[in-house]
Amino acid sequence: MNRGGAAETSPIFLPAVWAIVRKDLQIERHTRQTVSIMIMFSLVTVIMFNFALETNLGAVRDVATGLLWATILLAGTLGLNRSLAIERENETFDAILIAPVNRNAIYIGKVISVTIFSLLLEAVLVIMFIVFFNKPFWRPPVLFVLALGTFGYIAAGILVTSMTIRARSRDVLLPVLLLPLSLPLVLPASMAVAAFMFPIWPEWGEVQSAISLVLIYDLLMVAVGFLTYHYVVES
Amino acid sequence: MDNTRLKRNIRILNIVSMFALAIALFMIFFYAPVERTMGNVQRIFYFHVGSAWVGSLAFFVALIGGILFLRRPEKKWDTLALASVEIGLVFLSIAIVSGSVWGKPAWNTWWLWSPRLTLVTIMWLAYAAYFMLRGAVDDEERRGRFAAVYVIISFVTVILTFASIRILRDIHPVVFGGALESAQGAEQGLQEFSGVDSTKMVITLNVAVVAYTLIYTAWLANRIYLQRLMDQTQLLKTRLASYLQGES
Repeated sequence: MNRGGAAETSPIFLPAVWAIVRKDLQIERHTRQTVSIMIMFSLVTVIMFNFALETNLGAVRDVATGLLWATILLAGTLGLNRSLAIERENETFDAILIAPVNRNAIYIGKVISVTIFSLLLEAVLVIMFIVFFNKPFWRPPVLFVLALGTFGYIAAGILVTSMTIRARSRDVLLPVLLLPLSLPLVLPASMAVAAFMFPIWPEWGEVQSAISLVLIYDLLMVAVGFLTYHYVVES
Repeated sequence: MDNTRLKRNIRILNIVSMFALAIALFMIFFYAPVERTMGNVQRIFYFHVGSAWVGSLAFFVALIGGILFLRRPEKKWDTLALASVEIGLVFLSIAIVSGSVWGKPAWNTWWLWSPRLTLVTIMWLAYAAYFMLRGAVDDEERRGRFAAVYVIISFVTVILTFASIRILRDIHPVVFGGALESAQGAEQGLQEFSGVDSTKMVITLNVAVVAYTLIYTAWLANRIYLQRLMDQTQLLKTRLASYLQGES
């Protein structure tokens, strides 16, 4: 069964992806809503956590990597909800579905645009964490793992959000569904990030398993997304 | 299959699985030897591994149900996935609770935040959320579709959990396909596994796993039968309502 209609539309697959991404970025450039909400929310979260752990500065430093991931995950649900809710509110999504493009192009386009939003957030968060916790979050491998993990998380997130957005009590439902699904990704990812926090860089063998788990998650989620996305958006 | 034949088959399945459970219980308590370091506590092992196995099997069956439903949206595949997730959740709970009870004498704590324990608990939450998703979608056809997509996504966590367990370092020993780790555990003497080389234990474990699988199959059949009755009742109700409306 090929409801995506891949055969006759494949030549315009990449342009379609690009069009979706450009559209989302343009909306964001004009409204500046999604990223700013995510940044504000993260700021509040980090300060709240600091407040909770205030009595022990050493403890805060130790949990900094976990805190970074937790903040990204929570802010990510906001970004996902926002990005798809805009489409629903303006009823633009139905128009996108009418276009004769492969559904997977829409999926990948959405994943890329929300990943870009999250990466913008992470750029701010990384600076904040360097300042607040005095840890080398700027190291290239750390940024690489962050990007890799974010992509997998958003790949799962777009799929789940596309479902919850059309259900009752959608805003509450998303974190309940998505956060448990993301733990197998975040656990190895935060392990890998934590390994790079020490003054001495770890050997490749020490982080290899964690990073490969993150990669496997990314690949599996994108594969599942490609296979099932058109079942989700079909009305 | 019509209802009476299905009912007869289910009854046979029920009796068979009951006997299997009785045999397994007998073997666990009277045939299996007392473990050297752990003593009688080690007998939890057979329940723990059996229910963990059935949990993963049930989620795999749910995955199959989900895929089949997406290929051809028939009610029975949705029912299969739903029933299987329900039962799998029960068995996963048994595995977590029995593991916790065992953890107290083995690790001197009810709970450890090791990757394996954390991931399995999160797996429980992921599958519990399946029912929330179902409850939040009203349209029946869409509910089936979303639920099917969701069991496929959540099975990724099962795969990843299994992979992480084998890759990441953990205090919990590996039973299925992890001879090396359990041997290492036995060498260090800190694991309950030091006695598994004894054949009697292996035989008991296998009987327990088979018995648990039979119980799962019987339960699944009962649950599907129940769902079918519920659907039929619903259909009759709707028909009755439209008939009464036509009367007045």
